[in-house]
Amino acid sequence: MKDQNPLSPESVRPASPERRRMLGGLGVAGAALAGLSAARAAAPAPSGPPEGPGAGAQVTDAPQSTHTQDRVPFTGRHQAGIVTPRPTAGMVASFFVLAENRADLERLFRTLTARIAFLTQGGAQPDLDPKLPPAGSGILGPVVQPDALTITVSVGHSLFDERFGLARHKPLRLTQMQRHPNDALDAALCHGDLSIQFCANTPDTNIHALRDIIKNTPDLLVLHWKQEGSVPPIPAVAGQPAESARNFLGFRDGSANPDGGDAALMDKLVWIGPDDKGEPAWAVDGTYQAVRIIRNFVERWDRTPLQEQELIMGRVKPSGAPLDGGRTEHDVPDYAKDPEGKVTPMDAHIRLANPRTHASDANLILRRPFNYSNGVTKSGQLEMGLLFICYQADLEKGFIAVQKRLDGEPLEEYIKPIGGGFFFTLPGVRDARDWLGRTLMQA
Amino acid sequence: MHFRRRFLATLVAGAAGLYTAASFAAVSPLELVAPIADYKIYVAENVRKLATDTRAFTAAVKAGDIEKAKKLYAPTRTSYEKIEPIAELFSDLDSAIDSRADDHEKAEKDPAFGGFHRIEYALWVQKSTKEVNKTADKLLADVLELQKRLVALTFPPEKVVGGAAVLMEEVAATKISGEENRYSHTDLWDFQANFEGAYKIVELLRPLIVKDNKSFSDKTDANFKTVFDTLAKYRSADGGFDTYSKLSERDRKLLAGRVNTLAEDLSKLRGMLGLN
Repeated sequence: MKDQNPLSPESVRPASPERRRMLGGLGVAGAALAGLSAARAAAPAPSGPPEGPGAGAQVTDAPQSTHTQDRVPFTGRHQAGIVTPRPTAGMVASFFVLAENRADLERLFRTLTARIAFLTQGGAQPDLDPKLPPAGSGILGPVVQPDALTITVSVGHSLFDERFGLARHKPLRLTQMQRHPNDALDAALCHGDLSIQFCANTPDTNIHALRDIIKNTPDLLVLHWKQEGSVPPIPAVAGQPAESARNFLGFRDGSANPDGGDAALMDKLVWIGPDDKGEPAWAVDGTYQAVRIIRNFVERWDRTPLQEQELIMGRVKPSGAPLDGGRTEHDVPDYAKDPEGKVTPMDAHIRLANPRTHASDANLILRRPFNYSNGVTKSGQLEMGLLFICYQADLEKGFIAVQKRLDGEPLEEYIKPIGGGFFFTLPGVRDARDWLGRTLMQA
Repeated sequence: MHFRRRFLATLVAGAAGLYTAASFAAVSPLELVAPIADYKIYVAENVRKLATDTRAFTAAVKAGDIEKAKKLYAPTRTSYEKIEPIAELFSDLDSAIDSRADDHEKAEKDPAFGGFHRIEYALWVQKSTKEVNKTADKLLADVLELQKRLVALTFPPEKVVGGAAVLMEEVAATKISGEENRYSHTDLWDFQANFEGAYKIVELLRPLIVKDNKSFSDKTDANFKTVFDTLAKYRSADGGFDTYSKLSERDRKLLAGRVNTLAEDLSKLRGMLGLN
């Protein structure tokens, strides 16, 4: 929720469309606020989006944000960027590890730890002799703003090959992502020894962090693929529950996501615990990450009748409510009353993904997707879709089981998974002396 | 203002001995005279060989002897690829001699596309030299022009020292993928020549570097050695190289990593020697 204090810097800006609408909605009943409202309503007509530039702003003035100092703690039992609420901009980068021995691999993990601690907490870059290349890219200025940045490091199946003698420490469920029937996987967009997920308020913060890590690990990592994405912000409205962001199909994505703030639930669904049978002890407090780059055929989708779109997804498009009634996305569909799928088709996306039975509770996953847009295909169509990311304590019961249920769904006509991979997200960095991957390297 | 502040900060930090990257004013311009002169001799020798080889290569092209021309293509380019660190000093000739199809709007069909790679395209893809008779003449003329120009060409030390890093950047950005010799797949020949050419500069400067920063010198030598050892695995019986497609995925990544590291390290070389 935005600060509504009339003395806040925001109040000196022209009213945003949202705010005007909200004030208008108060109508006569809001007469008590008339003094304040009238002053705002009399402000010049808005000329930009919410939080747009104020009067007198110049063309190339940097857009202003009150969130550049948002800081997500780096240390903890778990890595940040998993149950942390998702900011606007996300990116996944996959790397090949060039380290040739365990000492170099440890150097890689320690270097990543140091860079991530700096990048996520912010601070001044060191000044170097101007005859040398500067310490960093400088794209955020000389003082790095945290901007809600989280950086989450995970390791792929291939890191457990013969190179480092880690084979017997491989997490139980970690496999190489297999092709599903509708996939058209591009080898140049798949798998990797190590994945790094970046999430921040702005894409520039993610790019800055990626460039910093590349610059600091030239002999240890080589970039394999990366995909950036974003989610559209919505206006902050007091007293209204949060809403799920929309994907590039125009539907809300994440309505049934488990509550990331519920620590007990996350312990059950997301984090590896000491009781997880067969998982190595070093993996406790880690989790499995599944990444999928899923192209959406948006031109075709936009030419599909609304009722068909809604039957394919299983939700009402504008509100996100389930097809069997309710007003909002948060209303829960009652499939028991619709055993033949007369209201919500049996093969509707949300029904297959989450049948909401007692048994299917075991398959719940924590989704963290972003929308991506990459340019134009050879056929002159938009190359865009979903950078799907999810976390779960059991990859087989989680993503793999859900995707198997989805295989063959009607939505497949409009989507095509082209890349991604499975990774194991390392446990968190406990304190200033700890480092990413320590438990694995000392196992 | 900002620059001055940074400069002062540097002086302060430098005085405090915060840098491991050598003392920056330690190398006097005089100390650079000998290595630069030696490098100029190295370049002159290579251009002389390039002229001889190009004469034979273009003669084969013009005679329509495709097999012979194909055999001469990669070895002829070797002497040119060795001097690529300073190609910036004759950029007009460089683009005439060594541009690629994607430097031109209409790619292979672009009339401005000439030089080695246009002939490469004729030999391997078109399998005919009909269209490249004039291209061959022009290539030889450009090489001879380069030889002529070299006599009077000044070698600014910062361009030579920086050239080693620049070439590593180019290899990292547009060569390691095998896109330079995309028709003949003779990229490993070029890699070898590029690394030799960059290493030559490092070798000539070594006495100046070692003085203040032996660890830098050792690390760079080790990275070059890894690169040369890796390429040596792909030597063919006739002293040449296997095609790029034989390069294993693992070795390609290894080379990419070493090239990135060399680019990162060599980017500090100018500053270490106090050059602008």
